[in-house]
Amino acid sequence: MREKSLFQPIRLLFIILALALIYTQVIRCGYYSKLSKDNAIRIIPIEGPRGAIFDRKGVLLVSDRISFNVAVVYQELMNREKLIRLLVNTLEIERKDVENAIEKAAGRPYAPAAIADDIGRDKAFILEEEGFDVRGLVIQTRPMRDYLYKNTAAHILGYLSEISEAELEIGKKYGYRAKDLIGRDGIEKYYDSYLSGVDGGIQIQVDNRGRLVRTLGMKEPVSGKNLHLTIDIDLQSVCDKALEDKRGAIIVMDPNTGEVLALASSPGFDPNVFVRPEGSAERVRLVKDKKLFPLLDRAISGIYQPGSVFKIVVAMTALDMNRIGRQTRFNCTGSFILGTGKFACWKEGGHGEQNVVDALMNSCNVFFYNAGRALGIDNIEAGAKRFGFGKATGIDLPNEVKGIVPGRSWKRIVKKDSWYEGDTVNLAIGQGYILATPIQVLEMISIVANNGKRVKPYIVKRIDNSDVTPAPRHDLNFSKNAMKCVRDGLYKVVNAENGTGKRARPEGVAVGGKTGTAENPGGITHAWFSGFAPIENAKLSLVVFLEHGGKGGMEPSEIAKEIFTAAKSKGYL
Amino acid sequence: MIFDKRLVKDFDKTLLALVFIICIGGLFILYSATQVKNLPFVESYIFRQISWIALAAVLLLVMINISYQKFIDISYALYAINVTLLALVLILGRERLGAQRWFAIGDFAFQPSEFTKISFILVLASIIGSKRVDLRYARALILPLISLAVPFVLVLLQPDLGTALLLIPIFFVMMYVGGARVKHLVILALSGLAAMPFFWHFLRDYQKQRLLVFLNPNVDPLGAGYTIIQSKIAVGSGGLIGKGWLAGTQNQLNFLPERHTDFIFSVIGEEWGLFGALVLILLFFLIVSRSLDIAGSTNDMYGKLVAVGIVTLLTLQVVINIAMTIGFMPVVGIPLPLVSYGGSSMLTSFIAIALLLNIGMRRSRF
Repeated sequence: MREKSLFQPIRLLFIILALALIYTQVIRCGYYSKLSKDNAIRIIPIEGPRGAIFDRKGVLLVSDRISFNVAVVYQELMNREKLIRLLVNTLEIERKDVENAIEKAAGRPYAPAAIADDIGRDKAFILEEEGFDVRGLVIQTRPMRDYLYKNTAAHILGYLSEISEAELEIGKKYGYRAKDLIGRDGIEKYYDSYLSGVDGGIQIQVDNRGRLVRTLGMKEPVSGKNLHLTIDIDLQSVCDKALEDKRGAIIVMDPNTGEVLALASSPGFDPNVFVRPEGSAERVRLVKDKKLFPLLDRAISGIYQPGSVFKIVVAMTALDMNRIGRQTRFNCTGSFILGTGKFACWKEGGHGEQNVVDALMNSCNVFFYNAGRALGIDNIEAGAKRFGFGKATGIDLPNEVKGIVPGRSWKRIVKKDSWYEGDTVNLAIGQGYILATPIQVLEMISIVANNGKRVKPYIVKRIDNSDVTPAPRHDLNFSKNAMKCVRDGLYKVVNAENGTGKRARPEGVAVGGKTGTAENPGGITHAWFSGFAPIENAKLSLVVFLEHGGKGGMEPSEIAKEIFTAAKSKGYL
Repeated sequence: MIFDKRLVKDFDKTLLALVFIICIGGLFILYSATQVKNLPFVESYIFRQISWIALAAVLLLVMINISYQKFIDISYALYAINVTLLALVLILGRERLGAQRWFAIGDFAFQPSEFTKISFILVLASIIGSKRVDLRYARALILPLISLAVPFVLVLLQPDLGTALLLIPIFFVMMYVGGARVKHLVILALSGLAAMPFFWHFLRDYQKQRLLVFLNPNVDPLGAGYTIIQSKIAVGSGGLIGKGWLAGTQNQLNFLPERHTDFIFSVIGEEWGLFGALVLILLFFLIVSRSLDIAGSTNDMYGKLVAVGIVTLLTLQVVINIAMTIGFMPVVGIPLPLVSYGGSSMLTSFIAIALLLNIGMRRSRF
């Protein structure tokens, strides 16, 4: 009767089976339910288009256009050979690249894996047509950033690139996702939170091949905000063109409001290469170029000795503090002796007796050596800071630097040395330790242009439909006499028969300005011209800076003339 | 055909009813697992399965009219035919999923290894039941062992590890009930275990893979582990009452491979939940325990041996099949009796039931 003893073990087996089922379907139910949902429910993100960027007249500068990308869904592949041949022939790409991409796709067989990006509308249509029976081939569309003017205004606009892992950690709570493009420089970076859209998505149910079964829900994407700049793209083009094949920066601004009409830096780059797949080689070149630094915005991030344009600060401060008067004269013999040192004027033989107006016109060093000594370092330092040197202007662009205004305590802390009279003499002509950005020089000339008010430069005028309120102007309260003397000097720089900046004189409009030729450790001098027009009720101020560009009275002045002429023809003067 | 009154009295109607309840439930779940839009009914799996059930029912009716003793009498012949077919299928058979198990006869695939379970039970009952061997002596184990070894090796070569391994517990249970000494059986079992590493070398790569995947399905989630992961998800997400008939996402959205055959239970678990699953195993338990009653009620040693062989077969098929769908056992190709799609499996299950009914009907004769 041994068969009777089989009942207990059999019953035990069934009980264990029932317990295993209870474990799976009750205790582990939540876990498996989630996996089941993950299996079948997918979110297909729809990118919220990034805001467009317009110039001051409403000309479109940057927008999102549709790009066509080719991808394969590995598990749907049927005729691999046919697909490869179709892609190789249509896209003219290497067979090996396609094969590698397909191998990679095997890792996530249900997800479309990229083969080629931005293939162009025509090729996309050819693939759609010829590939209708090739399973696994997918043509996806996604918005792609398009910089319509390529290199023009590149440093203002900046560029985009994929979010890094570290940034993603921080950005997650603000809705950034992996592979998102974020602004890396310029307006794209500074206004990233306004420009970037909010991604939406469709929730769909899929089958085991990832094919859509039904749509469960939809969240509309939200577009980013459009930006309207203070820039005039035509004037900007003139500036960018003037800098072609040179190193330097040009900024043009309305000195009354701070609206920047043009801001150019050279060498430049085409922001499109950062979003286009074929731009990768160029991208590497731009980032790796440690000689020319094409990505550097010299207008706000480059610091240089201002040279003679700084004489404006010394003249204005000395006059304002009554250390010199309009009639105060210093005799220039071509050099200046201080103790055992000899400081030269740029003109051999000297300028003779000079008052402040003539000294500005001639850019006489000896006059300013004397004026500088009359002021003393502490007053020069304070005067420079009053004009905005040593401090960022606060323009709405990233990476602005503040430069250096040297002084006694600065030298003690940084150079571990005391301040010497020779340093003062050097500083009085914008040489030595002082370093300034072109936009600080522009800020300085604008204060003279608008009779003593500091304005904050800005680039974005309007975000969607709301105007940006400009920062309030700040009156620096220079004495009328000081202002008049300096302005007379600057007028003569350009308009006198032998003014140092006479090459900047355009037809039909009176310009005031100052040239600068700055000695620097790099060898060839930096060349500056900074000016404004018209001389009364100025509407425009500008700075032209050429890195190792020779003499300020030569090329920079000529470029300034060109820009004034162009601005006049466009109605800004 | 006229039945003896006693035969009618001892006919286990409940057992037959249980079988048909499972079959009908199985058809519903098969419908859910295989529904395809716009497919004519006659081409559907469900139509084929109904045809198989009908054919199997006719076979059952014929078989219970013939005393099971007749099958014992011809068991050597059946066994010989079956062994020949197993040998032939290795040479001529059709390969599917890396295994050579099927004969194609017209549209139908015929799988001789399914019938091996029955012919082996019959021949082993015949050997043990005859007075030719006295199981108290160790040497009497030789003939039964040979009868096991021949089909075991042939089925293993196909390779159909699941079916081959099923034969072993059937052998031990029948030997035990037939009166073999426990000491002998234990020694036999231990020497078998000792030989296992040796057998590892005979396994095909996909079988080794399956065993490794059982230990950790995530080693190959999109390959060998895919089925078991998806099956566990299906059953587990079914919960207490299931997602509803035709509403299982794992099933309807095609995430479950092989769901109409070996993994049909995943669909039951997903769509009918724990409730449906427990009802099903309760029904199977009732069948098995009634079969055990039949084994206990007959005085005929042959009948008793066949009955316990079949009880072991059914129990293990149900337990192994369900346990493998929820990842408690490695994936071996064993269908769920009466539910999984497949003619050979359905016929074999009905033959087993027919033999049980047959033994029950004729128990008083002895």
